[in-house]
Amino acid sequence: MSRLALSDTLPGLMPSTEDLHALEPARAGAVELGREIALWPLEALRGADPVLGLAVLMIIALLAGEAVRRATGLPRALGAMLVGALASPLALSLVTPLELDRWKPLLDLAVGLLVFELGTRIRPRWLRDNPWLAVKSLAEALLAGLAVALALGALGASPSAAALAGAVAMAGSPVIVMAVVGELRPRGQVTERLLVMTAVNTVCAVLALSLWQIAVTLDADGFEWLPVLAGVLYALCGACLLGTCAGLLLERLSRQIRGTGLATLQLALVVIAAMLAAQFTVSPLLSLLVAGMVARARMGHRLQVEPQLGSGGAALTLLLLLTLGLLSTLDGLLGLWPLVAAIIGARLLAKVGTVLLLARPSGLGWRQALGLGLALQPASGLTVLLTSATLGWPAALPAPEAAPMQALLIALTLLQLSGPVWLQLGLRVVARESDARPD
Amino acid sequence: MPLQDFATSEPLTLGVELELQLISTHDQDLVPQAEDLLRETARHTGAWDIKPEIARSMIEIGSSIQREHAPLLAELRDMRDQLVHASRRLNIAIAGGGTHAYQHWSEQQIYPGERFHYLSDLYGYLAKQFTVFGQHVHVGCADGDRALWLLHALSRYVPHFIALAASSPFVQGQDTGFDSARLNSVFAFPLSGRAPFVRSWEEFGAYFDKMAGTGVVKSMKDFYWDIRPKPEYGTIELRVCDTPLTVEKAAALACYLQAICRHLLEERPFEPAEDDYLVYTYNRFQACRFGLAGEIVDPQTKARVRLRDDIVRTLAKVDAHAVDLKSWEACQEIRDSLGEGNDATWLRRQHQRNRQQGEAPLSEVVEAAARRWRGAA
Repeated sequence: MSRLALSDTLPGLMPSTEDLHALEPARAGAVELGREIALWPLEALRGADPVLGLAVLMIIALLAGEAVRRATGLPRALGAMLVGALASPLALSLVTPLELDRWKPLLDLAVGLLVFELGTRIRPRWLRDNPWLAVKSLAEALLAGLAVALALGALGASPSAAALAGAVAMAGSPVIVMAVVGELRPRGQVTERLLVMTAVNTVCAVLALSLWQIAVTLDADGFEWLPVLAGVLYALCGACLLGTCAGLLLERLSRQIRGTGLATLQLALVVIAAMLAAQFTVSPLLSLLVAGMVARARMGHRLQVEPQLGSGGAALTLLLLLTLGLLSTLDGLLGLWPLVAAIIGARLLAKVGTVLLLARPSGLGWRQALGLGLALQPASGLTVLLTSATLGWPAALPAPEAAPMQALLIALTLLQLSGPVWLQLGLRVVARESDARPD
Repeated sequence: MPLQDFATSEPLTLGVELELQLISTHDQDLVPQAEDLLRETARHTGAWDIKPEIARSMIEIGSSIQREHAPLLAELRDMRDQLVHASRRLNIAIAGGGTHAYQHWSEQQIYPGERFHYLSDLYGYLAKQFTVFGQHVHVGCADGDRALWLLHALSRYVPHFIALAASSPFVQGQDTGFDSARLNSVFAFPLSGRAPFVRSWEEFGAYFDKMAGTGVVKSMKDFYWDIRPKPEYGTIELRVCDTPLTVEKAAALACYLQAICRHLLEERPFEPAEDDYLVYTYNRFQACRFGLAGEIVDPQTKARVRLRDDIVRTLAKVDAHAVDLKSWEACQEIRDSLGEGNDATWLRRQHQRNRQQGEAPLSEVVEAAARRWRGAA
């Protein structure tokens, strides 16, 4: 899974060390404040081995999660991400994104497990039984992408940058959705639809990104349809094939295994599938999603997937949320805010609008549709970046324009950090889906 | 509010109500999606009716007024098919059965509505624990006096219906050992059990006024009796059946009841007496606990008789009426089920089979019940 390292493969999308240095004065105020309050522990953490530092941060994130839950009633995931954001170069600079590389395999595993779990929650037959739901899922993703691309285009971004932003903006965040749904355990129609639509829009984003990459590569030599189509088909079929094999293998092997062994087996297969996906340059995300779906369809109730695969998985999820916070970037927000607002606004309008428009034919009430639209807002760069990384980023490719890309990253940061709030608002407050189990 | 007059209805007409479980296709637990299903089925075609129930994971369906087995069965099948279609659009499943095998009562959500919240406030956890699913059969009666006569005469057949319909062996993840554990939940209510032994509508009105005067009841709905008169419909309502796993069984039970009622009304084989109730709760317990293998005491002869045998004898007595009512097939189905065992036996068999394969999750049993409801197994 080392091939998934995003900072290596997507130089344009991650803030480089030079950028961070350039921002030194802007951050100085915050850092000064931090030093005054607690000079020694912060310095100690900064100087510490990043693994040790991150482990300490995990404990703080855990406590912060509880504090957030008690004080505001919001999901614990929010606390973990905020601790990450606070420790990031945004504020205290305790850990820099580059130092996260040592944790990379664990983070990939955490994403893999959550995506696999999302797969096990999806029954593809539903999209056949309710064709309007299929239409709604596709339309929501495509229109959100289109709206963001058009909005950025109108504000002067190049077509290529606008298209890339559109492709990324299609996707929801399987990570945040699964982490928060695992915590809130809401039951009902909106939650079920949120899971399906998150899977569909993530797949759409994966395909759109591979399409974009191929199209941009070919642009120089004149556009040809055949290679574009072949590339997308390869990404789709390869991932489906790999996922199906992994799901079938899980089913076959699980017959010999009882009890907790099943969770270990799932873990190992998730790692293998992700590694192979990287090997064959197909999307690991799509592969794991398919693997989860196939395993559920074949195994039924024998597939006991505990949320986040039990306590070990929960620790991985916490680490992942912390990392999402650490990767936050708001650099240049003051200058880029019109672009950022355009991305968030266009995405919000497109997603909520589509869900509301197709609410009745697909069998949803107005209030539920509004809740679903809001719950679809969380976005995550990480998941999509992981995907595109495995397709490889040709070195010859010119980096996308800096301004729209930075605006996209800021928008993703905001939609990511606010993710748990959107989900709580959409699922609990508006759609009123809750779990009556005692906390 | 005084007791209303007993409306006249055509004798021996039938109405069937079924309380159904809404089940997640993911973990097979109950899901609180009654509103969604009601919205999806709002424009259904058919004379039948669909209503919310106290918990958000239940719905109740009611047939139109029926006279014969074939049209009743056709309507129930149409109702089932439309519900299955709607539930598929929502990615949920529907199942019969008197209890959900492993739902936890504390997780149930009360359906929004004044009466449901009143019940929830009054009964506390009992209301949520009442997430059980029954079949109610209405039988039309010419007037209140005849309704009460029939109500008391039917009391000795109540164990038949409990045992035949029993489909609630599992509660909160455990095999209770009962064939119908559902009725134990009903029994927890203070106004459950049997109706007082009064034989005229006038006397019944006096009883109702006294009860209303104590403030204990406000309407007939507050009585949870096994059989209760429903004056606004002009019917008596048998409420002891668990919801069967199939609509075919539901129709057969209703028509078996219809045949017994005709036998009682036309032949008057005995006069109901207060003393019939001496053995009532004992017989009822036997039927709940042991199903068709239970032993009941005949209220007149005081002889012990196996329930299965008593049903065979009763079927022989009502056969001619069943033929006249065109419900012979229904009685035949009841006869067949004596050999096959009731739905509780079927559910236990599913569980046993899973166990032999090394796994025994009750979710498999719930899924099998949902398949059976769809008519697929």
